[in-house]
Amino acid sequence: MIAGAWICLLAPLGGALAITLTGPWISRRVAGWISTLTTFLAFAGALVAFFGLWSRDADDRERLSTAYTWLAAGDFQVGFEILVDPLSAAMMLVVSGVGGLIVWYSIGYMAGDEEERRFFAYMSLFVFSMLLLVQAGNFLLLLVGWGLVGLASYLLIGFWHKRPEAVGAAKKAFVMNAIGDATFALAIVLLIWSTGTLEFTSVFADVDGLSETTVNLVALGLLGGAAAKSAQIPLHTWLPDAMEGPTPVSALIHAATMVTAGVYLLVRAHPIFEAAPDIQSLAAILGAVTLVVAGLVALVQWDIKRVIAYSTMSQIGYMFLGAGIGAYGFAIFHLMTHAFFKALLFLAAGVVIHHLHDEQDIRRMGGLKSALPRTHVAFLIGTVALVGLPPFAGFWSKDAIIASALERGDALGWTLFVASLVGVLLTGAYSFRLYFAVFQGKPHEAEALHARARESHGEGPRSMLLPVGILAILSAIGGLLSIPGVWHPFTHWVEETGEPLVEATARQDYLVSAISVALGIVGLLFARRAFLRDRQLVTAPTAWRLFEHKFYFDELYDALFYRPSTALSNALRRRVEEPVIERSLDEIGSGTILASDGLARVQSGLLRTYALAIAFSVCVLVVVFVAVR
Amino acid sequence: MLTTALILLPVAAALVIAILPLPRELTAGLAFLAALMEVGLWIVTAARFDFEEGGLQLGTTEEWVESLGISYSVGFYGFSLWLTGVAVVVSAAAIGYALWVGRDRPRAYHALMLFLTGAVVATFAAQDLLLFYVSFEAMLIPLYVLVGVWGGARRQAATLTFVVYTMAGSLLMLASVVAFGVTQDTFSLLDSGTSDNTWIFLGFAVAFAVKAPLFPFHGWLPLTYREAPPEVAAVLSAIVSKTAVYGFLVIVLAKFPEPVRDFTGLILVLAGAGLVYGSLLAFRAPDLRGIVAYSSLAQMGLIVLGLFALNDLGLDGAVLLSVAHALISATMFLLVGMVERRCGSGELEVLGGMARGRPVFATVLLVAGMVALAVPGSVTFAGEFLIMAGVYEEGWGYAAVVALGIVLAAMYVLRLISAVLHVRPGRAVHDEALDLRPGELALVLPLVACLIALSVWPALVSQSSFSGDRPARVISEGFR
Repeated sequence: MIAGAWICLLAPLGGALAITLTGPWISRRVAGWISTLTTFLAFAGALVAFFGLWSRDADDRERLSTAYTWLAAGDFQVGFEILVDPLSAAMMLVVSGVGGLIVWYSIGYMAGDEEERRFFAYMSLFVFSMLLLVQAGNFLLLLVGWGLVGLASYLLIGFWHKRPEAVGAAKKAFVMNAIGDATFALAIVLLIWSTGTLEFTSVFADVDGLSETTVNLVALGLLGGAAAKSAQIPLHTWLPDAMEGPTPVSALIHAATMVTAGVYLLVRAHPIFEAAPDIQSLAAILGAVTLVVAGLVALVQWDIKRVIAYSTMSQIGYMFLGAGIGAYGFAIFHLMTHAFFKALLFLAAGVVIHHLHDEQDIRRMGGLKSALPRTHVAFLIGTVALVGLPPFAGFWSKDAIIASALERGDALGWTLFVASLVGVLLTGAYSFRLYFAVFQGKPHEAEALHARARESHGEGPRSMLLPVGILAILSAIGGLLSIPGVWHPFTHWVEETGEPLVEATARQDYLVSAISVALGIVGLLFARRAFLRDRQLVTAPTAWRLFEHKFYFDELYDALFYRPSTALSNALRRRVEEPVIERSLDEIGSGTILASDGLARVQSGLLRTYALAIAFSVCVLVVVFVAVR
Repeated sequence: MLTTALILLPVAAALVIAILPLPRELTAGLAFLAALMEVGLWIVTAARFDFEEGGLQLGTTEEWVESLGISYSVGFYGFSLWLTGVAVVVSAAAIGYALWVGRDRPRAYHALMLFLTGAVVATFAAQDLLLFYVSFEAMLIPLYVLVGVWGGARRQAATLTFVVYTMAGSLLMLASVVAFGVTQDTFSLLDSGTSDNTWIFLGFAVAFAVKAPLFPFHGWLPLTYREAPPEVAAVLSAIVSKTAVYGFLVIVLAKFPEPVRDFTGLILVLAGAGLVYGSLLAFRAPDLRGIVAYSSLAQMGLIVLGLFALNDLGLDGAVLLSVAHALISATMFLLVGMVERRCGSGELEVLGGMARGRPVFATVLLVAGMVALAVPGSVTFAGEFLIMAGVYEEGWGYAAVVALGIVLAAMYVLRLISAVLHVRPGRAVHDEALDLRPGELALVLPLVACLIALSVWPALVSQSSFSGDRPARVISEGFR
């Protein structure tokens, strides 16, 4: 079982190293297959670990395996150790499984790119980092995985490094994540001084003994990291820009890795958040705000990938909301179903973009239903699953979170409940706006140009269509792992790690489902009406501008942080460094040179003199001191 | 004996090279060979060193001037052995680089470089204050000449500033050395007790603050790091600066517990200010050298924060980061040198787009850059994290400053990487600017490999730096 977990962790790393070190000695295609197969090997390892755990008694499903001491100082020791428990096993399966499908798809998508090998090395690194993140047995190692995920995302978002936008987006993602890393690190430092250890089980056992301030600060630091990684307001601005990376990268960031890390952390560290209920509620509130704001912004975007990106922010908002009110099982369940349908949407969008020769603007798309029939079905399944219509995946997972908010019942619970229903309405509207714009109506004239060139090989190579097909099946039936009042194998499995704080009754669940399906359909109808009348969903100019500018977060941060720090740096250079510190000796120096202009003419003479002067002064001083003594 | 051999090997090689009238290539080759032998000798030394046991090992003490209590006394602690290790590795890389680019007047150049190496090793091994002082000074003379003769266009001004600053520091230290020796009746670091004399303490502290350098004593840094030949800048920032760390550890912290207590607040504030100040300047520096130079200032600030936290976490972190910084700043300066040789300039404006068609260079720079910005999982991160955790005990504000430093480091290193590698080729980047040659790769790859190995296992250094991994106790007991 433990061996399976180690294989799961190390296989993608081995893949990344193999591709990097062999370099030009292997063909591009081989690099793609090394990456794909090692990721699937990781999935096999995860399966071994999962079934190994499954066969144990329910109270014996936690195994810590330490390879060696990674870092030590005095009493403080941190091992390179992995924790295998129901939560990490579930995450391992999702990350390596969905990740493997996405890497497989990339073989077809990236074919012909001149730097394919580099791409696959980075993809493998990304999967390894995420697996390290979910398998880490202590906070520091979790932070290591956390940081490496940020690094891999930087490398992949900026993969097409000739494009200034891609480079800018990559830097933005890295710096935003570095802010999260920094607050995360501070929280860990607090833990070291208050509990003396970073190993999960020992820390959680000590949580009760901590002062309220300490535990609140720790939770706040962790939440900062989680919000940055999961692109929740106010640390979300990197995510939409991250669409500059190749499409499979977007799928990997949004579905299998990276943005789900924050949700995982909230659930993993739930004893800390439960001891700091205010911060836990704050997480739920951030989730609610994000899910509404992202839904509004998604209504007006023109870029096919950006619409999906905002939908990710919004869906992660649901997961934060769920984890914030203590519905841990459902938060992770939604994480999984979301991984299925979001990967599906991105990969299907990738087929569309591929078909249209890198066109991403939905104003130049339309009527692709007939040109891409199989992709059309897949995309429709993804859309329906996202909106949450039965029996598709999102229906089961999202509604369970909303029902948990209802069950909570207090003022916060009701607010979250209403916000999440508003989110459902928005999801229906923006998702179907996208669907209609791309697949329905008349083909755009720009498409005709590409059509003839593409006819020969249909919708794309098999390595692209097969993963899409598998994800479509998973998006269609994946939600059946949890049916209210009937069975909950998945959520019960995860809840062994995180005992839920709220549990909605089956009646509440079905009530919520009825409301949310109705709202989703209303959203659909709005989108359809706007589409048929060839009008926008948002017609009020003020609202349009606000959404178009993404609520002006970028402009705000630019004015608040980037410009002041740039100005401060420049001011320090011009006002302090150059005039005061660098020139400090110019006066003295020029005086010396003038005084001894004979020396100034002969450079080597100058040097020799100085060297001699030092040696001489040393001798003199020693003699003087010795004599004095 | 091994310790003495480690000191004498490069010095003897320097003499041989200075005297023998060999042809150019042979001279440089011989120097490189000597530097590699020094690395081999260090490996032998490390193999003999008992890291479990800790304490001073491989020591030799010979009376020198008995009546004055001066002795030739050398030996290694765990941390000084590690510092020596990176010193000989970095100096081998630097000498190899000089061989690769074919520096003018190779006999003088290589003799000076080897002599410098010997002086650095002697400084790390010295257990007698006067011996320490002499080695410390002996480093300076070759440096003055190396910068002043082989430096860039403004080398004279650079040398002058460097000379004036370091001379001022040296004189203060000399006064303190003598005063300390006289009051203690011995110059031996092993036999002397502690002192509570603030003035003697200040003499040492300021000398080391200039050498490190520590804000605001870094007036010599921008010009010297810009004008020195890249491999000399690498040696300066990587290993010469670490002699200040050694001095802080075995002299300032161990011998002056009282004054340290009084001045800790001030030093921490200066170190924190230097961290932020250096990072901000690195963020807007117009050239590659500027970024690497100011990031060095910031990193030295971090190391001093760790030292003066004076607890196990901070001290282990400071040593670990010293080792890591030596490797990374040497790598960065050598890479900068390689860029400058190809493009004729290190101005960010005229660079760019070098990733295209130069996969080896791009990979090496990316890996080095990620270590430099302390991506979690790297050895620099491990060091910074320990320092952050250690200095938290002195106040949460310091830990927050370290956190800020981490974010700023991401900003300036990414700026450097993008300015060199990304978007379209700059004006100075021509197609003839080749990827790394095998010779160049052979120089930087060992450095990068050391960094990666230490990232996989940072405990290798942090666990074995002080006896029993109890740095705070070791220092409070004056290394006895």
